[in-house]
Amino acid sequence: MPTPRTRLSDRRIATLALAALAWLTACERPVGCTGDYCGTLVIATAGEPDILLPVVSEFSVTRDVADRLFLKLADVGPSGNTSGDEDFQPQLAERWEWDAPTTLVFHLDPRARWQDGQPVTSADVAFTYDAYTDTLVNSPFRPSLRQIAAVTTRDSLTVVFRFRQRYPEMFYDAVYHLRILPAHLLRELPRTQWHSAPFGRAPVGDGPYRFVAWKAGESIEIAADSTFFRGRPHIRRVIWRFTPDQTVAVTQLIAGDADAVEVLVSPDNVQRACAEPQLACYPYKGAAYGYVAFNLAAQGDTSKPHPLFGDRDLRRALVMATDRERLLHNVFGDLAKVPPGPMPQLWWIWDPEIRGLPDDSGQAARLLTRSGWIDSDGDGIRDKDGHPLSFRLLVPTTSAVRRTYARLLQEQFRTAGVDVQIDEVDFSVFTERARTGRFDALIAVWNSDPTPSSGFTQTWTRGGFGRSNYGRYDNPDVDRLVDQAVVSAGSRDQARRAWRAAIETLNRDAPGIMLFATSNVAAFHKRFADVTIRPDSWLAQLATWRVPADRLTDRDRVEH
Amino acid sequence: MATWLVRRLAASIAIVFAVVTITFFVIHAAPGSPFLPAESQHLTPETLRRLSTEFGLDRSLPEQYLLFLRNVVRGNLGQSFALRRPVADALADAIPNTFTLALAALIIDFALGLALGIYQAVRAGRVGDVVSGNGALLVNSMPVFWLGLVLLLVFGQWLRWAPVGGLSNPVLCPRLDSPACGLDFLWHLTLPALTLGLVGAASTARYQRAAMLEVIRQDFVRTARAKGLRERRVLLVHALRNALLPVITLFGLAFPFLFTGAVLVETVFAWPGMGRLAVNAIFQRDYPVVTGAALLTSAMVVLGNLIADVLYAVADPRIRVRSETA
Repeated sequence: MPTPRTRLSDRRIATLALAALAWLTACERPVGCTGDYCGTLVIATAGEPDILLPVVSEFSVTRDVADRLFLKLADVGPSGNTSGDEDFQPQLAERWEWDAPTTLVFHLDPRARWQDGQPVTSADVAFTYDAYTDTLVNSPFRPSLRQIAAVTTRDSLTVVFRFRQRYPEMFYDAVYHLRILPAHLLRELPRTQWHSAPFGRAPVGDGPYRFVAWKAGESIEIAADSTFFRGRPHIRRVIWRFTPDQTVAVTQLIAGDADAVEVLVSPDNVQRACAEPQLACYPYKGAAYGYVAFNLAAQGDTSKPHPLFGDRDLRRALVMATDRERLLHNVFGDLAKVPPGPMPQLWWIWDPEIRGLPDDSGQAARLLTRSGWIDSDGDGIRDKDGHPLSFRLLVPTTSAVRRTYARLLQEQFRTAGVDVQIDEVDFSVFTERARTGRFDALIAVWNSDPTPSSGFTQTWTRGGFGRSNYGRYDNPDVDRLVDQAVVSAGSRDQARRAWRAAIETLNRDAPGIMLFATSNVAAFHKRFADVTIRPDSWLAQLATWRVPADRLTDRDRVEH
Repeated sequence: MATWLVRRLAASIAIVFAVVTITFFVIHAAPGSPFLPAESQHLTPETLRRLSTEFGLDRSLPEQYLLFLRNVVRGNLGQSFALRRPVADALADAIPNTFTLALAALIIDFALGLALGIYQAVRAGRVGDVVSGNGALLVNSMPVFWLGLVLLLVFGQWLRWAPVGGLSNPVLCPRLDSPACGLDFLWHLTLPALTLGLVGAASTARYQRAAMLEVIRQDFVRTARAKGLRERRVLLVHALRNALLPVITLFGLAFPFLFTGAVLVETVFAWPGMGRLAVNAIFQRDYPVVTGAALLTSAMVVLGNLIADVLYAVADPRIRVRSETA
């Protein structure tokens, strides 16, 4: 029989439980949004923005968020064409015209407003250009604006861009990287402090979404601006959830904690996500390619050739000794293609007909033998003048893809009589050694803009020395052809021919082994309709995505 | 007691100072640069030099160290290179999350560990003892991250009983401003805390079983039973207090385990705490965050041990007497 004290405890517990229940029920969030403008998109992503000030950050997730908050003057259209201005779509500028071959005039939309109510003016555009080109701000996009001589205002809604010369992608250069910033909020901030400006953690923009909250290490939330002058977006809230890696992001998607993942990356993840009945997969062209870069210069003295890779025939033999299709199939399955040169699938110059060296181990062996590399001591490794054909391959520990490729390459080269030692180092060390030329060969991955004009120049021409041309590949013919394609080509066809000639010349020189060009697959919850993806910026057409009224879930309806 | 406490505090400060000093020099000696985090960065050598000057990395290491110490004394932990915000702000965001996780894990660890240890001691040699003992050994043998992955897969992805990561549901509970969101937070805390707590509990139970077995065979327990006290009171009041001493030692030792374990658990469950912050900072060579995290973590571990020592003295009057007469 219970004692009075026990009965009292029971009563107390029951009262507390009832009170707690009443408290919880009373504090439930109201669930009420109906119609075509509800919808909440939760994106799981590996990585977090460093700062939401687009002028100082080039992280892809920063761009994803910032491009919803800040408008460009115009943006690349669905075709992805970056030449001329025909395929571009207005954003902040309602129209534009060419006053002269090198003078471009934008007319801003008078309806545009900053989210604090101030109008967006031409002064904001001029201020933005000044900030992007200021060495104190040190914007990563500054080199892309070098052909723009000046940006001036004509009146409060008219802004004039003057270029140094005429070239096919001058419009692209004027609009693609510049996210217009609010001069009235940033003018007083010393430029040296922009990299850590408080504005970058609570930005005020002029785009279709306004900033709501940033919980460090956890999430960022933005909400549709119902007064946006180009029309209210259908998806009302967008939330990025930060995860430590892509596998956790995919797990959150499958478990229903997230609605979308930008890239599933591995065949395993694609299989896991696309097999889920509630998810839909969207393949699109990738912006990345991976390659082995040979160091053509001696370590420690870049004026001298590398003892192995200074020899063009040896490089050509190694390229031909690589069965790239087999490697690719082992690592990516169907999620990548062997590139016809140093290019991602995204680039408009992608053409499988571009000539390269064949994957031909027989021809490779003959070339090595003809060059004097033979296995004189029967140890399975070719040698010449007493030196074994051996080199070290540098890869970052953070990349499972590159580590796998390194092992597979090691095995393929071993059968060709070439000894490869793998150096796995953490990413910071990898980058430092790459930049300072302290490697024989490395596996690099290049994530690119939608055009080859900047990426190719930085990676494979003399202009990339000290930047991303890690192997110091230098062929004046390639530089000249690239210059022709970027600057002096009169039409897209002429540019395409120049690019093709440059790449075929590079392929003959074999400064590296072009291993893979990725194909991306995004995954979404099936309640999202009208999803279209522009490969260079997967959320570019977010404003047209929606959740039909009959597919709304509590997640979409909840009010705050 | 006061003298002892002052001595222990001084030793604690010396330990923290040593940890921070070692961390400072080791992270600066590690190869790699804080300003080269991405392959496609458009940084020129001139820009790199300017950034080095701006953050004082062009000075000699001893100079940087003295500057660091001066700033720490003034309460300034510096500016994160990668996060682009003050280190103190980044740590202030992360510490409560790690602390909550560690506290929840500690509660699971000791509540479950003590209960299981007592149960095993009372049932020593019987089926319940053998089965639970081997079960505890199995859990204790598992790497923390692996147990986390298993729990995540089973309860998160397959059964969907618990969320697979994060602090809260960002849609329904963007802020902890309602009881429902409080419960949502606890729900998110369940799997990470269980992961850390279960491994600790398995270890605690083994210690508690051994201690309890030793105590319940002693005369004073037999006397208590002979006086007619109920078995529950004999065990939980008379025996347990005497069997707690080894477990209090374990309490002190649990702190380093909880903080190192949190690094892995926070990664598996996307829990935005100190562990994830420190690991990312190490990979990015974000020196100020690494040293700041080392400072705080070592301070918390030392503090945990200090608390354990005080508890030890409270639980065992003989220790108090010895320290007072010393």
